[in-house]
Amino acid sequence: MSDVIVTRLPNDVGGLSAAPIDQSDHVLAPWEKRCHALADVLDFHKLINTEEKRRGVEALGSEIVGKLSYYERWAVAFANILFQKGVLTPEDLAKRMREVERRLAAERGDSPGAGI
Amino acid sequence: MTEARTNRGHDHDHGDPHAPIVADGQPSYYEIMETAIRELLVERGHFTAAEIHRQIDLLDSRTPALGAAIVARAWTDPAFKVRLLADGRATVEDLGISFYDDTGLVVLENTPEVHHLIVCTLCSCYPRPVLGLPPEWYKLKPYRARAVAEPRSVLAEFGTVLPDEVEIQVHDSTSMARYLVLPRRPDGSDHLSEAELAALVTRDAMIGVRLVELPQGSRS
Amino acid sequence: MAETETSHDSPFAHVVLATGEAVVFAPGDRVRVDDRKPVGHYRVPTYLRGKTGTVECVYLPAQLNNEEEGFGRNGGAKRHYYRIGVPMTEIWPAYAGSPQDSLRIEVFEGWLERIGA
Repeated sequence: MSDVIVTRLPNDVGGLSAAPIDQSDHVLAPWEKRCHALADVLDFHKLINTEEKRRGVEALGSEIVGKLSYYERWAVAFANILFQKGVLTPEDLAKRMREVERRLAAERGDSPGAGI
Repeated sequence: MTEARTNRGHDHDHGDPHAPIVADGQPSYYEIMETAIRELLVERGHFTAAEIHRQIDLLDSRTPALGAAIVARAWTDPAFKVRLLADGRATVEDLGISFYDDTGLVVLENTPEVHHLIVCTLCSCYPRPVLGLPPEWYKLKPYRARAVAEPRSVLAEFGTVLPDEVEIQVHDSTSMARYLVLPRRPDGSDHLSEAELAALVTRDAMIGVRLVELPQGSRS
Repeated sequence: MAETETSHDSPFAHVVLATGEAVVFAPGDRVRVDDRKPVGHYRVPTYLRGKTGTVECVYLPAQLNNEEEGFGRNGGAKRHYYRIGVPMTEIWPAYAGSPQDSLRIEVFEGWLERIGA
């Protein structure tokens, strides 16, 4: 029954067995709140509407949906949708991410990060 | 996929501190990605940085205190309650609370016969204009998976046990309507002012997972 | 959408509406949710497919079908969607709560089929 891999989307969890509810609160990190604001503004301009964002998260597949946090999934979905629409290219984003990482490291007074 | 979902795949589905955002002062890969996307789109004129800042201010201004004030108004002003139940969005907008998107607002009144419970099984639809951003548990698999299938055991985990004669009505948000529960006003609260009543109304009560109760020993 | 004049005497009786303009279901109608299995994106959860319920209200105005909106359609034809009520025992045969417990959910008309008379 491999069809269930595509016919049941990763977020469609109603009725599945699941653990007890962890009621502890999570205060959003500043970047998470910015990410939420970005999602709203993207929808206001219909650059990425809210439903596209949901579809973009589902399209990440269950492994990525399962392993990334809520706003991490949003950020990756934004990137993919903007590439699909030709608004950004993977090259644009990769170069800018490297710049941002170096800039933030310099602001902190660190040596340049080797990561991205 | 089925295995990934029923086991750790989705149990891991959260935004909790397991993935420290800035554990040691360093931004995460995803934070850098969000910053880069936002900067590129601003530079290319799709929107302005001021719009993002404005939206952050908007999000900060939307908290459960707004919903609580609406509930207390409905408890003390019968005409307001009638309007609120008939057209949630327009009535809330009249208070100066904007809806910044096309979502509607349906206010559901708990009664001795019916108790309402709100969930979004497919994502995390929530009445953000009047309650702010949802709690973490509302967005995670355990609540979303179980609230539609075993609402009474979910309610019990929140300490809410209702007799079988009370109908539990679960509302799964899937489209443009957003739901706000109008909880039952607690017995013995006649002497309280509107502001004092609002202070009793919790976010969880407006989602429907808890009841509104008077503090111990404060019954008149 | 208020009552429309349907009397044959009405000067407006012959007006034809475009596809999708008329509200299809009324409160109290018995409906079955289609059991189709779309890929890509959907807004009708798997647990509801094939289940039988009762229309409680129509939401107005009509909206873009959110399953198309998910692929970037931001305007154009709208469709009506409805709040339907479904007993928990209809959805979950082994439901452990009270038999009067129920679900309310919004479903676009393209997913609904009228049943009974």
